[in-house]
Amino acid sequence: MLLAAVDYYRPDTLDEALEALVSTEGARPLAGGQSLVSILKLRAASVELLVDISRLEDLRTIEVADDGAVRIGAGVTYDEMATSPDLHQSYASLSNIAAHTVDAQVRNRGTFGGNLCHNDPINNFPPVAVALDAVMHVTSKNGDRDIAAGDFFTGYFANALSPDELLTGVTLPALDGRSIGYQEVEIGEAAARAVAVVATSNGNIESANVALGCLPIPMRAPGVEAALAGAPTTAEAVAEATASAADGIEPLTDADASADYRLAMASVVAKRAVMEAIEGGHHG
Amino acid sequence: MTAPTTEKVATTPWTGQSLPRKEDERLLKAQGSFVDDEGMYRQGYAEFVRSPYAHARIVSIDVSAAEALAGVITTLIGDEVKAMTEPLFQFAPKEDGSQMNEYLLGVDIVRYQGEAVALVMAETREIARDAADLIEVEYEPLPVLLDGVAAAEPDSYVLHDSLGDNIAWKGLFDWGDIEWALEEADHVVKIDKLHFHRYSSTPIECNAILVNWDPGTDMIRVVSNNQFPMFGALVIGPSMGVGVDQFDFVSQDIGGGFGIKINSYTHIGVLALLSRKAGRPVKWTETRTEHHQSGGHGNERTFLDIEVPVMADGTMLGYKMRAFDDAGAYLHYEPLGAVIWSQVVPGPYKLKHVQVDYTETLTNKCPAVPNRGYSRMQHIWFLERVIDLVAQELELDPVEVRKLNYIQPEDYPYTTPNGCVYDSGDLPTALDMVLEMIDYEGAKQLKEERAGSGKRIGIGIGTTLDSGTNNFGQSRILNPELPFSGNGEACTALLDLYGEVMLKLGTNPQGQGHETTGSQVAADILGMSPENIRVWAGFDKSHSAYIGFSGTYASQFAVTGINAIIGAVEKLKAEIIEVAAHAFGAEQDQVELVDGEARIIGNPEAAIPFIGIANMVFANNSTLPHEMAERVSLTCRHVYVPKFELPDVEKKYGNLTLTYSSQTHAAVVEVDEETGKVQILDYAVVDDCGKRINPMVVDGQVHGATGLGIGAALREAFEYDEDGQLLNSNFLFYHAATATDVPNIKTDHIESPSPFSGTGAKGMGEGGGAPLHTISSAIQDALGPGKAIVSDSHNPPERVWRLLNWDGPADERGVSVASKGTTS
Repeated sequence: MLLAAVDYYRPDTLDEALEALVSTEGARPLAGGQSLVSILKLRAASVELLVDISRLEDLRTIEVADDGAVRIGAGVTYDEMATSPDLHQSYASLSNIAAHTVDAQVRNRGTFGGNLCHNDPINNFPPVAVALDAVMHVTSKNGDRDIAAGDFFTGYFANALSPDELLTGVTLPALDGRSIGYQEVEIGEAAARAVAVVATSNGNIESANVALGCLPIPMRAPGVEAALAGAPTTAEAVAEATASAADGIEPLTDADASADYRLAMASVVAKRAVMEAIEGGHHG
Repeated sequence: MTAPTTEKVATTPWTGQSLPRKEDERLLKAQGSFVDDEGMYRQGYAEFVRSPYAHARIVSIDVSAAEALAGVITTLIGDEVKAMTEPLFQFAPKEDGSQMNEYLLGVDIVRYQGEAVALVMAETREIARDAADLIEVEYEPLPVLLDGVAAAEPDSYVLHDSLGDNIAWKGLFDWGDIEWALEEADHVVKIDKLHFHRYSSTPIECNAILVNWDPGTDMIRVVSNNQFPMFGALVIGPSMGVGVDQFDFVSQDIGGGFGIKINSYTHIGVLALLSRKAGRPVKWTETRTEHHQSGGHGNERTFLDIEVPVMADGTMLGYKMRAFDDAGAYLHYEPLGAVIWSQVVPGPYKLKHVQVDYTETLTNKCPAVPNRGYSRMQHIWFLERVIDLVAQELELDPVEVRKLNYIQPEDYPYTTPNGCVYDSGDLPTALDMVLEMIDYEGAKQLKEERAGSGKRIGIGIGTTLDSGTNNFGQSRILNPELPFSGNGEACTALLDLYGEVMLKLGTNPQGQGHETTGSQVAADILGMSPENIRVWAGFDKSHSAYIGFSGTYASQFAVTGINAIIGAVEKLKAEIIEVAAHAFGAEQDQVELVDGEARIIGNPEAAIPFIGIANMVFANNSTLPHEMAERVSLTCRHVYVPKFELPDVEKKYGNLTLTYSSQTHAAVVEVDEETGKVQILDYAVVDDCGKRINPMVVDGQVHGATGLGIGAALREAFEYDEDGQLLNSNFLFYHAATATDVPNIKTDHIESPSPFSGTGAKGMGEGGGAPLHTISSAIQDALGPGKAIVSDSHNPPERVWRLLNWDGPADERGVSVASKGTTS
């Protein structure tokens, strides 16, 4: 309604979509449109051609491998993640996160891939992908490539894709008994967020991946991870190990919260995420 | 002994029943009609060009590229507007006559981000939007002034040259003898600074205007959701050089107003000019970002150097303070707020000695306009902060100190230090009730149990007043020359040709259920079911009754609107009875109205249905005496006028408001020590608005006001950066409370009928911003004594976290006590 004039194309096949992306200057994929359309309404981005990938069946599947790894198509909506029996069985915490993302209207249209590619600092899945060491599957007319989640996010609203590339899906490795904690300080969407993937054994932490969100680039906290490895699963030990979670991060200041506050919250959400993982994982 | 057959038929009154709202069916079935649903033949669409700068000189505006775009009808810029209009009326010019010059579009200088500088009209909304992007405006940025206190400094940059300084209005309010009280008191509690923040109750429907300046008749038809169009007409008519008779204001359904929608009159005016220039109707539908940047914000107020004299037993004698109200860049309805707060000078307390040095300033922010609780809630929030801090610093019980200082039930009618008369109430009972509703003792126990757990409990109380039906004579305290006083509302009640009953109100409602409550009171008078009474939906100046005060604002419908309805329907009833009595050959006191018929009392067989009455008057008038046929119209207009006198402008003394509803709120909150996040565990409200016409409608207003207040207390604040850019101009960043953000609210009521309103009802609906008071109080309770004080009305997690982590020296807490016999 209030968009600048823009061409729209809904290809029937992935190949047609890739062709459109490579052949048109200013082409951009449109999935659920829950962020991109708002930006276009504000006329804050200039796009010549919207390539609507939301109905490409290739991008809309959730596949669980025998080993427990999950491949989620980039075009899978939050609602489909929330209601997929397969995902709920293999990755219940991820289902729960999707089930509580924004509101029903957005969940019906917003997509997993769109959330990742858009990389708004308030988006919920970038730190999840980073914490899980997810593999991002990318394709273009020049072929396929995989990008590690840790290399995928390159800055505020930016990712490692070139204009002719498309994220087709994301593989999340098998959890193998690990649990996911997901904690945030909710101001609007969130002002601080942490994701922890933790394996425990006999009252000790075997391994822990900890990623912080609400940042231009979601970041792992290697110092925290090292301190957690082998630590007891007690609240005291986790608090001590996560105390340095803010090291090296550079959060933003906006109307919701200052960078100072977000720095202080990093260890709070990290601790809570790890404890939640220890206690069985995120239930939403 | 009276024979049973001569008794009137007794029925249960409709007034007082929780009838479902007449309006709801069409709204729930999407059959309501809002401005954007309306259209006119040949209408074009307008788009505003707005300043990206908070303060800048307009060097040039080039509309040529826009006008060259296919589909563009015309454009309009500030210089054209300046040439064809006068500056807008100002309420309170300085004594030397100097005042700001505001036009319907920005001229020469823009003074806030979002100020409109140009308009384009096109065949479609999309083309208008594209064309607006083609209008080139060259700006030269100017220094930005954002601090409403600093704006008053003599050396401050002056925003409006013609005004000479940034002071919109300034006055000293001085009642009783505060210096004596400060001398006499056992303790003086001093508070450095309190700050009430800037937010809006954000109506779901933004502003929208469809206007046609008819070239043939010079009539200006305005379909809009402005909530006080007669005020708008009084301001823009003289500016535009048109008579009020030329305006036809029309509205049907309006998606919330809260006072904010008083503000759209400048846009009504400039869109009318655009329509005249184009010779065609034009429609404009505001975007959310426009609404946040320029639709109007609630008043931001800073209270400084507060001194409160308190006796040893906790009796508060009064207060002294300086107030700085930040009106933003232009005065829209302001500076009325500079006197409207004084409707509630002592709040709910028996404070006798008060001195307020009040300054309203101008800054480079969006204009402040009335917002639910307008000006009084800022003041009562201040008073509630004061009483909690008095209790805390003097180690008094916050419940007992309230009860000690409350105006007691036997004190009513109670005259405040500035001459306002509080009509009725029972604050101690309301407080007892609300504390029981939150299980006060249990909550205190929970607070002890949770101590040290990282999740502190706080218990908060907020007593507030919702003053309604104001005396516009108070505007003379700002400017003795103003020709305004009193208040009122109009209604027309009529029988149509087949005896149908119709009411037409001047009230222009925005969701308050006037069709329902209006039909309830009319039904009782006419002896019929409200179902059979049609109330015209909305307002249409060409046939609805109105006076200059007509509109829905400032908690007055239950008094002004309802009394206008009662008056009009009583007149209609008298005419029906007169005609019926003539037909029966009976005396008028032998006739009653039952079930849509006029009957001889006690004889249902002797009945004339309303259709028969209407027939005699409208189509069969030879059956009536000629004198009666010409006099009786069955179209009865009544204007209700409350009894007010002019205030004493020198002493700033007088009865400024007719009724005072009260709301007593209590909350139990949990404060997360690590994050500062506040979660409401329990929330209760006891409302006292006198006699309730429709308790369900009242309850809805209580819930709505509470929800908006909770949003304001914890989530919503307009934040500007240092350049005057609004940081949260959409709902992604401005966190308006939704249903899921509002806890379950327990409500109860007491009814203290007003002796002044005729029906015993009081205006209500604003809720006095009570959740702001209550949540500040609860957070203070969670912080505990000896810590930082809650000095801001907005308490998002970071602010609470900073309070929790404050460990400055005791003399920097922001509060201190000087007691007799000790050195302060």
